[in-house]
Amino acid sequence: MPKALANIVTKEVKEMVRDPRILLGMVLAPLLIFPLMGFMLRTSTEAMQESLRIVPIAIADFDHGAVAENLTDFFKSMPNVKVEIFEAQNIDEVAASAQASNVTSVVIVPEGFSKNISEGKKAELKVYGVFRSGGIAESMTYSATQNLVELYKQKLINEKVQTRFPANSTVLNPIAVSQDSIIKGKPVEVNPSALFSFTQAQSFGLPLALFMLIILAMQLASTSVATEKEEKTLETLMSLPVNRFTLLIGKLAGSTLVAAIGAIATILGVIYYMGSFAFGMPAQPSVDLATIGLAPSLLSYAILGVSVFVALLAALALAVVISVFAEDVRGAQSLLGFVYMPLLIPMFVLMFADIGTLPLGFQILLLALPFTHPMLAARATITGNYFIAVLGIGYVAVFTLVILYIAARLFATEKILTAKIRLGRKKAKQE
Amino acid sequence: MVYPVEVTGLVKRFGNTLALDGISFRVDEGRIYGLIGPNGAGKTTTLRILSTLILPTQGSARVFGRDVVHEASEVRKLITYLPEEAGAYKNLSGYEYLQFMGGFNSRDGADLKRMVDDAAKISGLGDRLKDRVKGYSKGMKRRLLVARALMNKPKLAILDEPTSGLDVLHAYHVREIIKRYAKEHKVTVLLSSHNMLEVEQLCDQVALMNRGKVIVEGTPSELKSKHKAANLEEVFVEVAGLA
Repeated sequence: MPKALANIVTKEVKEMVRDPRILLGMVLAPLLIFPLMGFMLRTSTEAMQESLRIVPIAIADFDHGAVAENLTDFFKSMPNVKVEIFEAQNIDEVAASAQASNVTSVVIVPEGFSKNISEGKKAELKVYGVFRSGGIAESMTYSATQNLVELYKQKLINEKVQTRFPANSTVLNPIAVSQDSIIKGKPVEVNPSALFSFTQAQSFGLPLALFMLIILAMQLASTSVATEKEEKTLETLMSLPVNRFTLLIGKLAGSTLVAAIGAIATILGVIYYMGSFAFGMPAQPSVDLATIGLAPSLLSYAILGVSVFVALLAALALAVVISVFAEDVRGAQSLLGFVYMPLLIPMFVLMFADIGTLPLGFQILLLALPFTHPMLAARATITGNYFIAVLGIGYVAVFTLVILYIAARLFATEKILTAKIRLGRKKAKQE
Repeated sequence: MVYPVEVTGLVKRFGNTLALDGISFRVDEGRIYGLIGPNGAGKTTTLRILSTLILPTQGSARVFGRDVVHEASEVRKLITYLPEEAGAYKNLSGYEYLQFMGGFNSRDGADLKRMVDDAAKISGLGDRLKDRVKGYSKGMKRRLLVARALMNKPKLAILDEPTSGLDVLHAYHVREIIKRYAKEHKVTVLLSSHNMLEVEQLCDQVALMNRGKVIVEGTPSELKSKHKAANLEEVFVEVAGLA
C-alpha cells in the first residue's frame, strides 16, 4: 500500500475505533441488541411453554349421564391437563367459579347430552373461553381445550365405526400420505414443511443483518466526511501534496475495515438471535442439508461474501457522495435519511416474496437497487443459482465504480468544499 | 523575477456573489504578508485559491512561479495551509496528529521524527501532546495547528486568521511562533486577519481589503505615514471611506 494511503487508513481506523459513538453503535449495539431480542423471545417462549405445560380446564356437568362421565374421565386421562369440576346450578355460577379459579376454559355438558348421544341424535357441548388478558398463552390454552373436544368427538366416531366394521381398520384411515420434496430436480425424502421453516428462518435474518450493516457503514462514511468538512480538516488535507483519489480511497478503506468489524459483531448477534428463534418453532425432523444437496458450498459462501462486500462498498461510496453536499454531520445524517429508506426498504419485500413472482416493473426496480443483490446471492447459497448472483456482483461493481467516479470527480474539484444542499436553513455568507 | 506569491486580476464568483473583484498583489520572499480587512472582504477566498482548494473565475495566481490551477500538485508541495478555526482529529493525540500530517511531507522516518520534534518545540505543548486533542482548549489546538503548518519548513505558509478567537496569552504565543519561525527558517508567510493592530505588529507588508478589492498596499509604517494615521485601523477607516 502506498505510504500516503497507509497513513490515511491508519488514521481513519484509529479515529473511528476510538470514537465511543462508533464503538457503541457498530460493535456493542449489534452484539447486545440481537441477543437481547433473542433473550426476550426465548423468555417469552419459555413462559408460554410453561403455561401450556398444564392446561387448566373446568367441566360443569349438568347432565350427569354415562357419556358425560366418560367425557370427564377422557379429559382427566389426558396428559398436561388439569380438570376441575364445577358444581354449579346455572351458567352465572359457572362464570363466577371460572373467574375465581385459574382455568382458561370451561366445558359445559348440558342436560340430555348422554341421552342424545345414546339415541344417535346430535348432542350439544358448550365450550367457554375465560378471557383475562387476551395474551397468546391464553389463546393457546383455549385452543388446547378445543383440540381435546375434537379428540373426544373423534373417539366417539371411532367407537361407532368399530362396532359397524370390527375387522377393517382402513375405514377410518383409508389414505396414507407421505410428504417429500423435490430439490434441484431430484426427489428427496424430506418433509417440505421442515425445509420451508429452515429457509424462512434464513430469509429473515440476513436482510435484517444487512440492513443494519449498510446503514451503519453509510453513517460511518458520511460522518467521517462531514466531520472533516465541519472541522475544516478536509481543507487542510486537500492542500497537502497527496492525490485526492488517494484521500477518497483511504476514507473508504478505513470505513470498510471498521464496517467489517461491525459486520462480524452483527452476524454474531444474529446467529444468537436466530438460535432463539428456532427454539420457539415446533420441533421438526432434523434435516441433513448435505444429504439433500442444500448444504451451502464453499463457492456459494465466497460468492455471498463478495456480494456483501461490493454492496458495502457501493453503500460507502454513495454515503461519501451524499455527505459532500452536507455542511456538517447533522446535515449529512439528514441527507442520508432521505436516501437509505427508499434504497433499503424495498429489499424487505424479498423476505416475503420470490423476486420472480413480482410484477415486472417492481422486479426491475428491485434489481436496479444494489442492496437487492446480496439477498439474491444468499438465496443462491441454497438454490445453487450462481449465475444470478455473479451477474448481481458485476452489476453492483459497475454501480460502485460509477459512484466512485462521481465521488472522485467531486473530490478533485472545489465542489467538495462548496457544494451544499440546505435543508431549510439560511444561506451562509461566503467570506 | 519569481515571487512566492503573485496574484494578478483575480476574480471569484460564487453564483451571483462577487467575492473577489480583480485583486492583484505580490509577496516578497521571507516576508510576512498580511491581508487585512473586515469579514466578507475576500481574504479567505484569496487564501483558498492560493492553497489550490478553489478555482478562480478569472485572473491568475502563482506560487513561486507555479500556476495554482494548472500546476496545483506542484504548488501543494511548496505550501502549508491553515484554515480559519480549523480543528484537529479529536480522537488522536497531539503527537499522533503531527505524525499523521507530517507523514505526507516527510521523506523518511528520521525526517518525520525531526518534523514532529520541531513541531513539539514550536507548539510548546510539552507532555500535553500525549493527550487526545478533544481535551485541548481552543488556544492549545491553535498552537498545535500552527506548529503543524510550520514543522516541515514550507516555502510558503498560508495562515487564515491564525489568532482568531484566542485569548491574549495564546494569541501572543502564536504571533511569536510565526515571527520567530519565519525569520529563523526564511519561511514566507501569507496570513489574513481582521485584527489590524495585531497585523501591524506581525507583518512586514500588508494589503487592506474591502468588498473583494485590495484598497491599499504597503508596509504598515508607509501606510500610517502616508495617511497620517496613528494605526492601521485609522488607515482602513480613511481609505474605505468610512470616516
